[in-house]
Amino acid sequence: MKINCRLVVKILTNFIREESKKAGFDRVILGLSGGLDSTVGAYLGVQALGPERVLALIMPYKDFDYQGIQQAEKVAGLLKITWKKIDISPQIEAYYSSFPTESQLLKGNKMARERMSILYDFSAREKAMILGTSNKTELLIGYGTIHGDMAYGINPLGDLYKTQVRELGRYLNVPQEMLNKKPTAGLWPGQSDEEEIGLTYEELDSILYRLVDLRQPASQIIEAGFEETKVRRVIELIKKSEFKRKMPPIAKLSNRSIGHDFLYPYDWDK
Amino acid sequence: MKIAIAQISSILGNVDRNIERHLELMEKAIKEKADLIVFPELSLTGYTLRDLVAEVALDPFRSSAFSELLSASKKIDVIVGLVEERKSDPGLFYNSAAYLSAGQIKHIHRKVFLPTSGMFEEGRFFRPGGEFSSFPTRFVPTGLLICRDFLHYGSSYCLLADGAQLMITISAAPGRGVSDPESQGFETSRMWELMGETISFFSGAVVVYCNRVGVEDGATFAGGSFIYSPFGKLIIKLPYLEEAFCVQEVDLEEIRVARKSWPFKRDDRPEIIWRSLERIVRKKEDED
Repeated sequence: MKINCRLVVKILTNFIREESKKAGFDRVILGLSGGLDSTVGAYLGVQALGPERVLALIMPYKDFDYQGIQQAEKVAGLLKITWKKIDISPQIEAYYSSFPTESQLLKGNKMARERMSILYDFSAREKAMILGTSNKTELLIGYGTIHGDMAYGINPLGDLYKTQVRELGRYLNVPQEMLNKKPTAGLWPGQSDEEEIGLTYEELDSILYRLVDLRQPASQIIEAGFEETKVRRVIELIKKSEFKRKMPPIAKLSNRSIGHDFLYPYDWDK
Repeated sequence: MKIAIAQISSILGNVDRNIERHLELMEKAIKEKADLIVFPELSLTGYTLRDLVAEVALDPFRSSAFSELLSASKKIDVIVGLVEERKSDPGLFYNSAAYLSAGQIKHIHRKVFLPTSGMFEEGRFFRPGGEFSSFPTRFVPTGLLICRDFLHYGSSYCLLADGAQLMITISAAPGRGVSDPESQGFETSRMWELMGETISFFSGAVVVYCNRVGVEDGATFAGGSFIYSPFGKLIIKLPYLEEAFCVQEVDLEEIRVARKSWPFKRDDRPEIIWRSLERIVRKKEDED
């Protein structure tokens, strides 16, 4: 699972430059949470396009993740990128005053979609391509909000597991505190990804790597010493979240239907 | 002989703009006194075409856009990649390589091995070609292969048996694998180099590999084009992942020297290979 970081940076910066240019943008915009993934995304954006072509939005909800917000500001300052802080509390509060809920998950998803909505608005205002920073681990187990943090224009990190993003972060010299930080989706104060998922990222990534990259059957992974319940759980999470990784099915009626046999490349005429 | 390699990216589905780019680079190669310029697989169209295949297809014997390339080939030989559809056979699309020289189409190779698994879906959109053959050029007898063709070593063997002394592969190979800590490029680049070294040495032939670069739908093409001498020695290698252009002198006399030193070609017995293959194929047919 080791990666050649120098090579990966070369490929990913080229990817950011080419794919944003093809879509008609010379700048990128991203949401900065103070976590590792968006930090690494910002570093890559700066290496690809220069600090003057990377915009960051920091979008706190109340003081749910005060430390994260401070760290996001620090990263933006270190990288000398333009950034803006937009408090999403008023609109979230307005909505939940009409439709109250106690569910942290519902609220967290709503916040993720609010941030998405702001990012798309600013993408159009600022003519900047949205850089997504979902990593391969969370994409595979569906640990993200559909049409929330899983919505973006391009994603340079989607083929790197969380532990590989950390390796890349180390190579890019992101601040130590980000590398050591306990990963959190920031859905509620003190949330921990690893506690919620029930596996450490090291365990999770090793299982995913064997399942996905090496195409090993569950039996082989269990034989290699991984706990059966954990392996089964990971497979279940992948299965249950396939809908988040696909365009939704369209009912086929005609001879040529979108999503079935109307097959054009993303980079059509670019 | 001076060979130019254009390790470029193409605009996906825009033949006119790609032809413009080809003409510019042909001009550049002419200025640098190259005899032949090689472009990558599907250089006129881009690679990830899917349903665009039918829209960018052209008949090289009738297309007016293609005629510009033919005119330009009066000053320099050129190999381009295209989606071929003959007027006489409408609806049959081939992933083809055309060799143009002195204003004429000297040879067309249709890709035989269409990768159709994992990230590849060529078999869904193209009809496979049915032949490997060498053809005369103003230099030496030459053979063309397209990308995956080259990874099946029987393809190069057919070219050798048919007299090819220069074997040219045009390619649009996306890179995979980034775990090798020393590598400047993708891990998959290694297999092309391994084949290049092997085929050139054991055929006593000049082997040219022109791969493209750029990103299409998230996949990065690996670059790393090269030329191997008939002694299996690397003559030039272009960088991985970046657009590049080179004009390289290649000593064709070396083919004779290599084949004198290592008489693999002299001692080759294609008729035995053929009879053995025939027996093997028949036996397999009977079993099936």
